Amino acid sequence: MIAKSNLVKVHDWLWEIPRSHRADMRVPARVYASDHMLDQITTDRSLEQLVNVATLPGIVGHALAMPDIHEGYGFPVGGVAAFDAADGVISPGGIGYDINCGVRLLCSDVPVSAIQPHLSELGAALYREVPSGVGRGGRLVMKGHDMDAVLEGGAPRLVEMGYGEAADLERTESRGKLEPAAAALVSSHAKDRGRDQLGTMGAGNHFVEVGSVEGIYDAEAAQHLGLFKDQVTVLIHTGSRGLGHQVATDFIRGMVRAMPRYGITLPDVELACTPFASNEGQEYFQAMSAGANFAWANRQLITWEVRQAWEQVLGDAGGPLRLLYDVAHNIAKIEEYRVGPVSKRLVIHRKGATRAFPGQPVLVPGSMGTRSFLLMGGEKAMAESFGSSCHGAGRRMSRTRAKKEIQGAELKQRLNAQGIVVNVGKLSALAEEAPEAYKDVNEVVDVIHQAGIARKIAHFRPVAVIKG
Amino acid sequence: MPYTILEHTADVRLLVEGRSLPELFSEALRGMMELLKPEGVSGESSAAEGTAETNRRIAIASPSATALLVDFLNEALCLAYSHREMYQVSFEEISEPRVRAVLRGRPVNSFGEDIKAVTYHEAEIRKNAAGNLETKLVFDL
Repeated sequence: MIAKSNLVKVHDWLWEIPRSHRADMRVPARVYASDHMLDQITTDRSLEQLVNVATLPGIVGHALAMPDIHEGYGFPVGGVAAFDAADGVISPGGIGYDINCGVRLLCSDVPVSAIQPHLSELGAALYREVPSGVGRGGRLVMKGHDMDAVLEGGAPRLVEMGYGEAADLERTESRGKLEPAAAALVSSHAKDRGRDQLGTMGAGNHFVEVGSVEGIYDAEAAQHLGLFKDQVTVLIHTGSRGLGHQVATDFIRGMVRAMPRYGITLPDVELACTPFASNEGQEYFQAMSAGANFAWANRQLITWEVRQAWEQVLGDAGGPLRLLYDVAHNIAKIEEYRVGPVSKRLVIHRKGATRAFPGQPVLVPGSMGTRSFLLMGGEKAMAESFGSSCHGAGRRMSRTRAKKEIQGAELKQRLNAQGIVVNVGKLSALAEEAPEAYKDVNEVVDVIHQAGIARKIAHFRPVAVIKG
Repeated sequence: MPYTILEHTADVRLLVEGRSLPELFSEALRGMMELLKPEGVSGESSAAEGTAETNRRIAIASPSATALLVDFLNEALCLAYSHREMYQVSFEEISEPRVRAVLRGRPVNSFGEDIKAVTYHEAEIRKNAAGNLETKLVFDL
C-alpha cells in the first residue's frame, strides 16, 4: 500500500507521488483530495494502481486521480491519463468495460410540489417503462443493418427513429456520436450481447432518479441553464451495457497477445495497451467509439421512456422534460492540449472521470439517497487536469461488506422515511448501493470546487429512485 | 474451499483452487455461475421450467494458462448472457495453450449479478502450499 507519507503536497487539494517513488514511473502521479480524504484513499490499492498507470508508454504530464478515486482493476476508478497520439498508447482498461458509462440530466418546468401527490405512481411508471436488472430485455431488438446504424449513428440515429428531439443532441457531449465508430469492428459476440439491451438500465450502480433542485450556488449560471429552486429533475446513469463490456473484453484479449510485438511489458496485464497509431490501437478506438455511440443511443432511448412515463402519470400538467446535459465518464477522446511549448494531440483516457471543459455542465451523481451536483467546468481544468473532473461520490465499502452490514429492506424503509420513493428489482442491490458504501459526495465536490477544476452551480435531492 | 469470495472495494474478487487445470477451470466457472445465479434460488431451480439442456462447444487458445482461464470464463460469460443460460462444463482438451470444451447450458429467466467481465488483474495461476493450483480472479461488476 502507498502511505500518506509517500505523497508530497502540491497545494491543499492536490498531492503528488514523485517519479522517484518507483523506477518504472515515466511521469509523477497526482491525486486531487483533501488531507482528510487521503486517509480513506490510502486504505485500498487505488494509488498503487495509479502509479502503474504512470508507467505506460507515451504518458504525458501526470497520471491523475480525482477525489472519488477507488480501487479498480488495472486503472483505478476516478482516473485520467493522457497519451501522445503520435507515440503513446491506448489502453481499453483506461476506459473500462462499461464504455461511455455516463449521466444525463433532464429538467422539467414544474416544482416538486406539483408531482408530490403522484410520486409513487411516477416511480412505478418509470420502473415499468425503463427495463432494469440483469437479463431483462428492452423494447427494441437490433440486428444486422439496424444495429450497425446505431453503432455508427449514436444518439442522432435514435432521434431519427423518433426517440427524441434534435435539441437533445445539442446538449449531449460530442452530440451523442463519435465519428470514428466502425460497426464492422464490433464482434458478433458483442452485438449478440447487446441486441435487446438498447433502452435498458442494467444493474449495479445504474439508476434513474427523480430529484429536485435543493441548493443553488451560482444564481446567474443556474438561471442561464434554466434551473430554479425546487424544480423537478431526472438523472439517468447507465452505459453501453453488455455490448460495450464485450468490446472491451475482446480488445483487451487481443492486446494481451499483441503487446510482445511492440515490446510492451506492464506491471499489470489488465493495463494491456498498444500504440494508438498501431492497427490494434486504431481498431480498438473505432470499436470503442461504436460502443460509446451505443451508450449514447441507450441513454437517448431511456430518455424517451422516461418522457413516456412522465406523460402517462402527469399528462399535460407535467410539461416537457428537456435535456440539460449528457456526459460520458468512461471514454477515450482525442483532444489538443499545450504540453510545454507546443500543442499536442493527446488520447485522453477518462475512467470514472468526466470531461469538464470551461462552461460545460459537469454532472456528479451522489450515492443513492444523497445529493447530486451540477458543476461547471473551469479554465484550470484545461491547464491542470486535461479538461477533466470527478464523476461521482466514489465507493469506499465493498459490495460484499455492504450486503453483510446493510439490510436492503431496512434501507428502503429509511429512504422512504426521508420522503424518497424506491422502486428496485432486488433489495440486496439496494444494500450494495447504500449511501454508507460511498464517500461523502459533498467532500468530493468541494475538492474539485476548491481546486478550481469545476465550480458548484447547484445540487439536487432525490425524491424517487429506480434501480434494477 | 474450491472458491472463496474475497473483499474488493468495487468489484468481486474470488480465490479459486483446484488439484488440476480442469478442476481449477471447473471451480472458477462454478464460482462465476454462483455470482450469476438469481438471488434466493439454487443453480438448478433458477432454470426455466420444462426446458432442456443445450450444449455449446467452445475452443480457445491463449498465451498462458492464466490468460486461458480468464478467456475461457469470459467466453462462458458472453454465451450465458447472450443465450440466458447457466453452465456446467465438460472438457475435451485442456492444456496450457488451449481448451476445447462443451458448456452444458440450462436456460434461466434472469441473473443475479451483472458481471461486466472477468479481468486479468491479479490473476496468476500458481501452486499453493497444499500443492494445488490457485489463482485470484477479479470480476468487474
